[in-house]
Amino acid sequence: MIPYIFALILVLLTIFGTPLFAVILAFAMLGFHYQGVDLSVIAIEMYRIADTPVLLALPLFTFAGYVLAESRTSHRLVKLTKAFIGWMPGGLAIVAFIACAFFTAFTGASGVTIVALGALLYPALTEAGYRDKFSIGLVTSSGSLGLLLPPSLPLILYGIIAQQMDIGKSVTINDLFLAGIFPALLMVLMLSFWSLWENRRNPIPCEPFSVKEAISALRESIWEIPLPIFVLGGIYGGYFAISEAAAVTAMYVVIVEVFIYKEIKISQLPSIMRESMIMVGAILLILGVALASTNFLIDADIPVRLFNLIQAHVTNKIVFLILLNILLLILGAILDIFSALVIMIPIILPVAVNYGINPVHLGIIFLANMQIGYFTPPVGMNLFIASFRFDKSISELYQAAFPFMIVLLVALLIITYWPALSLFLIQR
Amino acid sequence: MNEQPRKSFLERFQMIIEHVEDSILVGLLLLMIVMAVLQILLRDLFSTGIVWSDVLVRILVLWVGLVGAMVASRQGRHINIDIMDRYLSERAKIVARSVVDFFTALICLIGAYYGLRFVQMEFSVGGRAFAKVPSWLCESIIPIGFMVMAVRYSLLFVNNFKKIVESKS
Repeated sequence: MIPYIFALILVLLTIFGTPLFAVILAFAMLGFHYQGVDLSVIAIEMYRIADTPVLLALPLFTFAGYVLAESRTSHRLVKLTKAFIGWMPGGLAIVAFIACAFFTAFTGASGVTIVALGALLYPALTEAGYRDKFSIGLVTSSGSLGLLLPPSLPLILYGIIAQQMDIGKSVTINDLFLAGIFPALLMVLMLSFWSLWENRRNPIPCEPFSVKEAISALRESIWEIPLPIFVLGGIYGGYFAISEAAAVTAMYVVIVEVFIYKEIKISQLPSIMRESMIMVGAILLILGVALASTNFLIDADIPVRLFNLIQAHVTNKIVFLILLNILLLILGAILDIFSALVIMIPIILPVAVNYGINPVHLGIIFLANMQIGYFTPPVGMNLFIASFRFDKSISELYQAAFPFMIVLLVALLIITYWPALSLFLIQR
Repeated sequence: MNEQPRKSFLERFQMIIEHVEDSILVGLLLLMIVMAVLQILLRDLFSTGIVWSDVLVRILVLWVGLVGAMVASRQGRHINIDIMDRYLSERAKIVARSVVDFFTALICLIGAYYGLRFVQMEFSVGGRAFAKVPSWLCESIIPIGFMVMAVRYSLLFVNNFKKIVESKS
C-alpha cells in the first residue's frame, strides 16, 4: 500500500511542475531504500556519465547548434535550398521541408527551428501565394522534421541509453545515424507530395532556375556546406569517432561564424556557451539520475515483469507496436524529448526486444513518434512556440497543423511496419 | 528584488558567485573543446597523444553537466512538465510552486549527503582518476552540485513562501 501512496505523490508532484530530475531521483531513492541498498549507489551510478566516451558529443554538438542558431546560417540555408530546389513545382514548400530538416538535425528540436527558420519561411510562403493556414501549418510541423537525421542529439542520446542497457544486441550510434536517413527522406517526400496535392487548385507559379542565383548562394554558404560532409564523411569514412566529429564541428563552427562570417562577436561567445551548457546540464542531470533509477528497475526485474504482463494480453507483435505508437504519441506531446527518452527507453527497450523488434528500429520508431508529438494537440510544445512567435491562436494552429500530422502519421505507420526501410543500410 | 538597499550586500555576493560559476562553466567547455581537438591533431599529424586526455575530457563532461545544472537551478530552469499550470489560479500556482521547490530542495539535499558519503569512501580507498589527480576530487562535483541546487531551490521556496504570506496579509 505505502509504495502506491508514494507513487501517487510523485505523479502529483510531477504534473504540478517538479523538475523531472528530482522526481526520478526520488523514485530511485525510494526504490533502493526498499531494497535495502545504501543510497550512495546513486552517486556511483551518476559517475557513469564520466565513463561514457560518446557523451562528449552531447555538449559539443549542442554548443555548435547554438552558435549556428545565433548566426545567419538560417538565411543562407533558405537561400541555398531555394536556389537549387525552388524551380520545381511546389518548390518553396519543399525548400521549407528540406531546410528545416537540415537545421533541426544540427540544432536539435528545441523550438529554435520554428523561431529561426519559420520566421523566414512563413512570410516567404504566404508571399509566394500559399494559403495562410497551409503556411503556418507547414512551418509548425516542420519544426521537428529532421530529428531522425544525423547528428541529431536525440538519436545520440537514444544510442547512449541503449548501450547502457545490456540487451544482448549492440546498438551503435553509427547504425542509428544510418537508420534514420531513409525514414526522414520518406517523411520529406510524403509531405512534399501532400503539399503539391493540397495546392492543386491553387497553382503556385514556378520560378525558373537561375545559375546566377545558384552561384551566389553557393558562394555565400561555402563555409557551411562542408559541415554535413564533415560529420557524415568523417564518421563513415572512419576518420573520426562521433565524439571527435562533434569536437571538430564545434571548433569549426566557432571559427567560421566568429572569424569568417563575423556574425558573432567574441564577446557574445561566453553567453552562448552558458546558455547551451544550461541545456546540456539539464539533460545530463536527468540522464545521470536516470542511470541510477534504471539500475533499480533492472535489479527489481521490472522490465521482465512488465513484459510478462503485456505478453499475457498482447501476443501479437503488430498489436504491440500499435499500442506502443499510441503510448509514445501521448508521451511525446506531454514530455520533452530528452526526458521521454531517458524515462521510457529503459522500460520499453527490453520489452520491445522480447517481442523481436530490432533495437535500432525501435529507436527510429521512438523518435518518429516524438517528432509528431511535438505538434500533437493539445499540448505539443511547437504549437505553443508557433502560436507565440506568429501571434496566432492555439486553436488556429491545431487546425493548421492537423493535415500535416495525418501525413506524418501515415509515414510513421510505414516506418513502424516496414523495418527494412530503417535497417537495410546497416544489415551488411 | 524589493527592499533594495538592505539586500545590496547579499545581492552583490550572489552576483559574484554567479559570475564565478559562469566563468567556470565557460572555462570547462573551452578546455573540453581544446583538449578534444588537440587529441585529434596530435594523433593524426604526429601519431602521438596525451595518455590521460581522454579520461580528462570524459570527466569534464560530468563537470560541465553538473555546473550547467547548477546554473539552470538559479531560475528553476530545469526540465519539467507543467500541464497543470494553465488551470491554476495565480495564488494556487504560487502554492504549488513552493511545494515543488521545497520537495526539490529536499531531494537535492539527500542527494548531496549520499554523494558526500560516496566521495568519503573513495577518499579512504585512494585511487587515481588520471595523471596525479585523485578520483575523489573528480567525483566531488556530485555532492557540490546537489548542495548548490539544494540551496537554490530553498531560496526559490523561501521567495514563493514569502509571496503566500504577503498575499494573506
